Amino acid sequence: MNLSLKYRVLMIVVFAIFIGVFLYYYGTKARQEQAVAEELREYSYIAREYALDAIYKSTEFPVEVELYPSAHTEAILERWKAISDRYPELDYPEAAIEARDWIEVHKSFEDTDLLNGVIRKMYKDATVTSEGLGVSYITLLDYIFYQKYEASNIEDVVIDLGIEPSREEE
Amino acid sequence: MKKRIIVIIVTVITLLTIGSYLISERLNAYQDIEEVIEQEFRTLRQYVEDVYAIEYLDDDRALVFYSWDFPAYYNFGVMELEKTWRGWQFVEAISNRMERKTAWVKGTYAEITDRVILRGPVSGNAEEIVIITDDGREYRPEIGRAEWQMWYLILEDEPFEEATFILYDSDGEVLREEVLQFDLNWPE
Repeated sequence: MNLSLKYRVLMIVVFAIFIGVFLYYYGTKARQEQAVAEELREYSYIAREYALDAIYKSTEFPVEVELYPSAHTEAILERWKAISDRYPELDYPEAAIEARDWIEVHKSFEDTDLLNGVIRKMYKDATVTSEGLGVSYITLLDYIFYQKYEASNIEDVVIDLGIEPSREEE
Repeated sequence: MKKRIIVIIVTVITLLTIGSYLISERLNAYQDIEEVIEQEFRTLRQYVEDVYAIEYLDDDRALVFYSWDFPAYYNFGVMELEKTWRGWQFVEAISNRMERKTAWVKGTYAEITDRVILRGPVSGNAEEIVIITDDGREYRPEIGRAEWQMWYLILEDEPFEEATFILYDSDGEVLREEVLQFDLNWPE
């Protein structure tokens, strides 16, 4: 090999640039993939919680997912609204629901202290004891999202408050 | 002279970049459809999922029927995959929430790429379904079995808004007749 210094330097420069491009490409790609995964996780969570129908048009960058309310979504919103009508501190974000901005909608459940306050008030107003049942904001979320009565006596509370019809009427 | 060197450098870099990109894509290509399906569910974060059936529309297009979300599996999905030089690739997925609960059969209408697909959960006792549309057409949808039972129909002619579903048990006795409606404008 009898390359002149000039060509050796040139070769090193070429490889340096190549490696640079390579690292830049994979760095950007890795960051993008992470952002995509984050976004898809959020969509799947929201679709699950709000019983939404979903159309996934692209699962790569840029992510394209459309969410639509199902009949079960309406039932969730009805339970939510019934509680919010009586306890306005629990926000029912009509505008965001109308705009189908579900990620924005879900922000109403961020403050667990507020939710704990609502459920405590509900028990107090219904004069139903929650002693020994470990009632917390989770009880409230379980009721709104899954209409789940187990592990608490929330059913007595919502019937007592007139949010749900009594069992005989059904 | 200087110009020539720059041209050479740019060409070399471009070729190396394109070459390595193609090689890495090819190496990452999934050829096995089961592997791709698993990978796509991980991407979609639709776990824990259950596959009911894989239908091949032709050699390089497939539809995967599944339901997801432990423990209820009430989100019924269909996903289209296409085989390219990079292996099986995701095209589109549609997931519909259908809680069967006490219903015998439920169904929903969806268009995925250029196909019309009707699908939904059906009671575990049903062995066969006959669909009779209001204009007299008759179909026998496939039934896939996993966590639930899911019926599906890949429609090649005109979609219908209403049809009678006749459910038969394993002895060929009629279990139930239900009229289902389909919203052809979904998701609008």
